Amino acid sequence: MNIKTTLGLALGLTALSIAAPAGAADLVLYDALDFAGPVAKAFQAKTGLTVDVVEPGSTGETLGKIAAEGNNPQFDIVWLDGSAVMERMAADHVLQPVPAQAFDKIAWTDLGKSLIPQSHAFLPTGTSTTAIEVNTKKVKADKMPKSWADLQGFAGSVAAKDPNLSGPAYQWLAGLFQTNGVDAGKELLARTLTNKSLSGLSSGGKVNKAVLTGDASVGINQDSAIFSKIAAGEPVVAVYPSEGSVSLPQGLGISARTQHMDAARKFIEFVTSADGQAAMQNGDDTDFFYIPIVKGVKPKPGRATNIAYTHLDDATASAHETEWKQWYKDKFVQ
Amino acid sequence: MTMVQNRGAAALAGGIGASGWTRRRLPALARLGGPLAVYAVFALLIGLPLALVLLQAVVPGLFAVDGAQGLFSAEPLARIFSSPSVAGSILHSLELGLLAAATTTLLGGAFAVLVQRCDIPLRGAISLVPWLVFLTPSYLKALAWVLLMSSGGYLAQLSLLPPALGASFFGLGGLVFVHTLSLFPLAAFIIGSALAGLGSELEDAARLSGAGPLRIWLRVNGPLLAPAIVLSFIATFAEVLSDFGLASTIARMSSFGVLTYGIYAAASDYPVDFPAAGAQALVLLALVLLVVVSDRLLRRRADPHLISGRARPARRYQLGAWRWLVFAMALLVAFLALILPLGAIAVRALTSTLGNGLAPDNFTLANLGAALSPDTPANDGLMRSLFYAGLTAVITSTLALLLSAQLDRSSAVLRTAVLGLSLGAVAIPGIVLGFGYILVWNRLPGFRDWPFPHYGDGSLLVMGYVAAALPYCLVVILSAIGQLAPSLTDAARLSGIGAIRRLISVTLPLILVSVVTAFLLTFIRTVFELPMSQMLIPQSGPPAPTLILKLFSHDRDGLACAIALAAMTAAGGAAALIWYPLRRIIAFDRSQPPGIPAAPGEPS
Repeated sequence: MNIKTTLGLALGLTALSIAAPAGAADLVLYDALDFAGPVAKAFQAKTGLTVDVVEPGSTGETLGKIAAEGNNPQFDIVWLDGSAVMERMAADHVLQPVPAQAFDKIAWTDLGKSLIPQSHAFLPTGTSTTAIEVNTKKVKADKMPKSWADLQGFAGSVAAKDPNLSGPAYQWLAGLFQTNGVDAGKELLARTLTNKSLSGLSSGGKVNKAVLTGDASVGINQDSAIFSKIAAGEPVVAVYPSEGSVSLPQGLGISARTQHMDAARKFIEFVTSADGQAAMQNGDDTDFFYIPIVKGVKPKPGRATNIAYTHLDDATASAHETEWKQWYKDKFVQ
Repeated sequence: MTMVQNRGAAALAGGIGASGWTRRRLPALARLGGPLAVYAVFALLIGLPLALVLLQAVVPGLFAVDGAQGLFSAEPLARIFSSPSVAGSILHSLELGLLAAATTTLLGGAFAVLVQRCDIPLRGAISLVPWLVFLTPSYLKALAWVLLMSSGGYLAQLSLLPPALGASFFGLGGLVFVHTLSLFPLAAFIIGSALAGLGSELEDAARLSGAGPLRIWLRVNGPLLAPAIVLSFIATFAEVLSDFGLASTIARMSSFGVLTYGIYAAASDYPVDFPAAGAQALVLLALVLLVVVSDRLLRRRADPHLISGRARPARRYQLGAWRWLVFAMALLVAFLALILPLGAIAVRALTSTLGNGLAPDNFTLANLGAALSPDTPANDGLMRSLFYAGLTAVITSTLALLLSAQLDRSSAVLRTAVLGLSLGAVAIPGIVLGFGYILVWNRLPGFRDWPFPHYGDGSLLVMGYVAAALPYCLVVILSAIGQLAPSLTDAARLSGIGAIRRLISVTLPLILVSVVTAFLLTFIRTVFELPMSQMLIPQSGPPAPTLILKLFSHDRDGLACAIALAAMTAAGGAAALIWYPLRRIIAFDRSQPPGIPAAPGEPS
């Protein structure tokens, strides 16, 4: 066989077999949440509308892809942890405001109402917070930390995420500076995070791993990740700091360039319906353990909801974002 | 003597002797067309996407969301070089790359000599080891070593790990150790294929002149293998620099920051710090090019053409009792590089939690069940990846063969440029190339509206895979073609046989093993190729690597390990199905001793 024929054949095969027509689905969803797949499936079963679920990896990796797509975004909806980044995307006109009617239709809890952004950059679908993850095999019951300040006692053995790589970690840092004061907070962290190999982790999974393998005795982690590990039988507990916790909402945003506004609206409606909320709990991984913010919806068994919240001052947090992230990087990463 | 000396400097690409004659015969268009095609393929697959990323190091506003600004600025580069952590990671990358390249080449070379030239027991099984090691992607091996070596990991649970060793593992020593064990197959392949082409006649001649084995290796085989050794050093250096699997696990856990992690960190946020990513990628590329160019400058001597029509297979050394010691060392390498990490992955796939370790009630088949049942996302991803990888391997090895044939007839300048570009491309972290692909195919006017390949479709993912694999395929096939004596094709050409038929009937059979090697390398690597899969994930569904990584980052490493295990088995099985029948045919050809007539009824 002629080599040109072979090549031609190979290329032809490629063209035929994988050139799926672009935009065949009714909706393209970019996300980094465990429950997005099950929810899309349930939505498809209920409405007949097809959803392509695109999950490049962690929240950071999904954001990187969205940033690279820039002013030609390929998604219709995006569903992620973190409110600040959604606001940034809206400010860049990558996202359009979620229509006001969508918010009005939902029976929000008080916590839910407090999470609705004025800009309508995103629609909150649930929330979680940051807690102290303790390995019960390494830390005795009478030695449990009770506050961020108590973590000094575990200096060198505290796992933490790098706020430069994790939106929720930045909200934790900003929250800590708000509750403990910026200078006191910086001093506290300098005394606590003395082991750089544990203080710049890139995901909640790595904090879990550090705590579970015993590299760290305690970790600063998203509480839903801790509950998922408890449900799986791992020897950890979640401790809420006495200073108060900052809420980390999950938000749905709509692309500024979407051609499928109707389908996007239907998706939002479904997510906040009883069926959608049930699908959001149909699994055992981290994100399924979210705190519901729609009236009448209960969380997964084992998930604590009686948490003392403090409200994060978004303006201060975003004003200092670059500076505080850089400070953290210089002090605790590499 | 069948060796043909050549004045060309290229290590890989071989002769320039035949080109003048060919050129007169070819019409002007075809003469220009060849090199142009080579340039075009490289420009489209690697050059353009890479340039768009690197350019942002000096034109930071190029892809700003609120409109492109073409203003030059030295700010990103100045920012990068003034940052102590970036300066540190440049030094770290360089230190790690040089050390690991040296140890890897040493181990790989020794392994190749051992398998091809010594009468060790179970030679067949041992020669499989590099392939099996190669099946395991670096991010999995890194994870396996974390599972094994961390203070609450499997080795500590079994009380096999002294705490001091565990602590020092997460640093330069551990990184060099894991890189060496994970990359030695590459060195073994490169040096081994040169060794296979060496034949034994030069060695026989030296022996007849009274030279001992040591002298033969130092004075005859060593210098003849030097290009392959240097190539192996450069290729592993480039691999280590561009590695992300270990950078994001072991290096990260030991605060041993390297450049690839810096690029990743700059590129994983909204907005992406493109200028910082571009500037660090620029530094990375410069380091690799520096090594390639300094090799070119230092080694301006003739390179041998080794394979002729008359080479005979080499004789094996009879090691006597020593063969058991050598065998034990080979087994140790196999154990550390393969059995231990695979064991850790298998245990993790078969247990429900990490913390409860090897306790009997912690074992479960749930993960494997989820990975293997049809119509699960895990199984769909696996099937998708096997299909994409097969397609990529066919396209890439064909393309590499055509390009190599073209390059072998081209000027030394073009060959050096292509070699530099290929090795440079090996050193480009996939994440950078992946970003480049998004910028070209989703942002650049003209490209973004093309129906095929199209961003978001499988077609662009396969194209990205081809780009990621082409440099390797080229290196493997070019080095095989470079060893062919021009006399072989000259004879066919003088008989009036056209270029394509010469390639198919003369060149291809002689280098078939290398072409199949390139095919299988591409296939296996592509099944596990991570960054392209992440960046160019098709909207129709994720390939296996994206799924595995997603599961890891969402802390479901049990299922991730199960999918990885299934993928390795499937890719290995498919590769064996291709390799063994072919090997048998080749072995049959070679087992006919020269000069002895074929059996009656068989074509001689």
